[in-house]
Amino acid sequence: MAHVEMEQVSKSFGTATVIPPLDLSIRDGEFLVLVGPSGCGKTTTLRMLAGLETVSGGRIAIGGRDVTHARPGERDIAMVFQNYALYPHMTVRDNIGYAMRVHGTDRGTIDARVAEASRLLGLEPYLDRKPRNLSGGQRQRVAIGRALVRHPQVFLFDEPLSNLDAKLRVEMRTEIKLLQRRLGTTAVYVTHDQVEAMTMADRVVVMRAGVIEQAADPITLYERPANRFVANFIGSPAMNFLPARIERGAVHLVSQVLPLPPEEAARLRERGDVLFGIRPEHMRPSAHQASLTLEPRAIEPLGPHTLVLGDVGGHRVTAQVDPRFPVQVGQPCVVTVDMTQAHFFDPVTEARL
Amino acid sequence: MNSATARRDGIKHAFLWPAFLVVLLISLFPLIYALTVSFQTMRIVPPMPPRFVGVQNYAEILASARFWGSMWTTAVITVLSVVLEYILGFALALALHHNVPGASLYRVTFLLPMFLAPVGVALIARMVFHPYLGPVNDLMGALGVGNLPFLTEPNLAMAVLITVEVWQWTPFVTLLLLAGLQSLPGEVFEAARVDNVPVWRRFWDITFPMLLPLSVAVVFIRLIEGFKVIDTVFVLTGGGPGTSTETLTLFAYNEGFKKFNIGMTSALSFTFLVVVIVFGTVYLALAQRLTRRYA
Repeated sequence: MAHVEMEQVSKSFGTATVIPPLDLSIRDGEFLVLVGPSGCGKTTTLRMLAGLETVSGGRIAIGGRDVTHARPGERDIAMVFQNYALYPHMTVRDNIGYAMRVHGTDRGTIDARVAEASRLLGLEPYLDRKPRNLSGGQRQRVAIGRALVRHPQVFLFDEPLSNLDAKLRVEMRTEIKLLQRRLGTTAVYVTHDQVEAMTMADRVVVMRAGVIEQAADPITLYERPANRFVANFIGSPAMNFLPARIERGAVHLVSQVLPLPPEEAARLRERGDVLFGIRPEHMRPSAHQASLTLEPRAIEPLGPHTLVLGDVGGHRVTAQVDPRFPVQVGQPCVVTVDMTQAHFFDPVTEARL
Repeated sequence: MNSATARRDGIKHAFLWPAFLVVLLISLFPLIYALTVSFQTMRIVPPMPPRFVGVQNYAEILASARFWGSMWTTAVITVLSVVLEYILGFALALALHHNVPGASLYRVTFLLPMFLAPVGVALIARMVFHPYLGPVNDLMGALGVGNLPFLTEPNLAMAVLITVEVWQWTPFVTLLLLAGLQSLPGEVFEAARVDNVPVWRRFWDITFPMLLPLSVAVVFIRLIEGFKVIDTVFVLTGGGPGTSTETLTLFAYNEGFKKFNIGMTSALSFTFLVVVIVFGTVYLALAQRLTRRYA
């Protein structure tokens, strides 16, 4: 059963439409991540769900109850903000227990829940500190603690890790994910970081200009991107795109021919113009491999593998190769391409073929 | 140190001394001069040669009922007006911050009184509260209260003075607190909304404590400024009826420029300085205890 339901929800500021009518339903206990470049409307969508932003049209229901016009406080949600939004003059203990205190929860229950949350988040040594005496990671833990003591129906996260350093971000994303699993609470998480989205989500919603481009589990998103935008957005380094033709069961780049596996060739048949997409990490040997000659412009050794930034017929191509792969800037080299992993997109609609 | 660096080091005197002398001349000299004079009898009219009398001036001041009266008057005007200014100013700042309809118009009009010269404000107030010609008494008449002697009855005169102070200086409090409100992080209040914290609790538990350090500063500035009130009193009541609305500064002025008793006036000025410092210190000590509870 859908736990959170957004039906034809739209948002406009004056005449500018930020979110055209959008449908999204989230299952009970699901960890849903909204991801997209900045300005794609992911935060606005989350804020409409929270009630911090009014909707211009459509309907929002949480747990079967229509909350479209309910105040944020009436929605039984808890939110974690990018800048933590802790009450600066309260101790960690008071920050976590404040909402319960306001609502007249008895002292014993508050203490028990604060103790439980602080144990879960490892905040016990800091309970009597003020937020300014905590590190970024600790502050974010307090913000999460404040959200989870309320036992809400839905957790909302608005880019909660973007103010933390890279190492802490990796730690915290695992922690949040595990915590959500353990509590089984529905969570909606906004981020612009596709790695965060892929690692944390049960389902990722990729947005662009207020429109959902694809909503799927992380592996589907990676293996079968619905269009060029998603293919380009998911995966790092990004997918290579080359204009090509498909003739006689092979991909024809400017002057190069890359044979396709028979079933792919049968499915695609002859096509004049297509966009051939291949991820840098799929430049590897396989049962159906082809050779691609490229002109290396720069070489980036990363340790476990090396990136060759090159050029094929005036189009930039990145290849991920073995660190011992013989390559020199300026001297054409031949890389192996796993043709079972090739993607094809319509050059006009950019949809997957 | 070799001779070259010593010479270069000598240049520092060329930069230091002029500034130091200017400060000495224009700020320290008058203070020191006034302090010396306060230990002498000195009159301009009729001219009397200065004579050292020790602390006699100060003793006279402390023994005079008029001094203690003016002290009380000053304290009452200052404390009451600052309290009212703070409450009203905070309320207005909150209203403007939450963009009540027409906020941009109010923002300008509310600030106007602050830009007026206090003497001008006092002259306006004198007309407004005029016993026979003023609109306030017209209103009182219409309400059936009859004419009130606003400027000639001690308690009413005090009330008028406080009203004028509040009218003129509430905008200052509003301005600073509004700036403070606008600098508070918005996410904190959104978090409180999501946590279903009612408006009133949001104010008392979040807004007020977060603005406490600023409030302490604003009230401090207004207290110090309020203590120096003279122009409004001078124009509106002249310290009257009798000396019932005479403030410390007006008392000093009267000693100096009506009796031309310069020695006494200097002593009064220094007493005034001590009073302000004592009040200020006590206030800051109390405020610090309050902020420490929150911050």
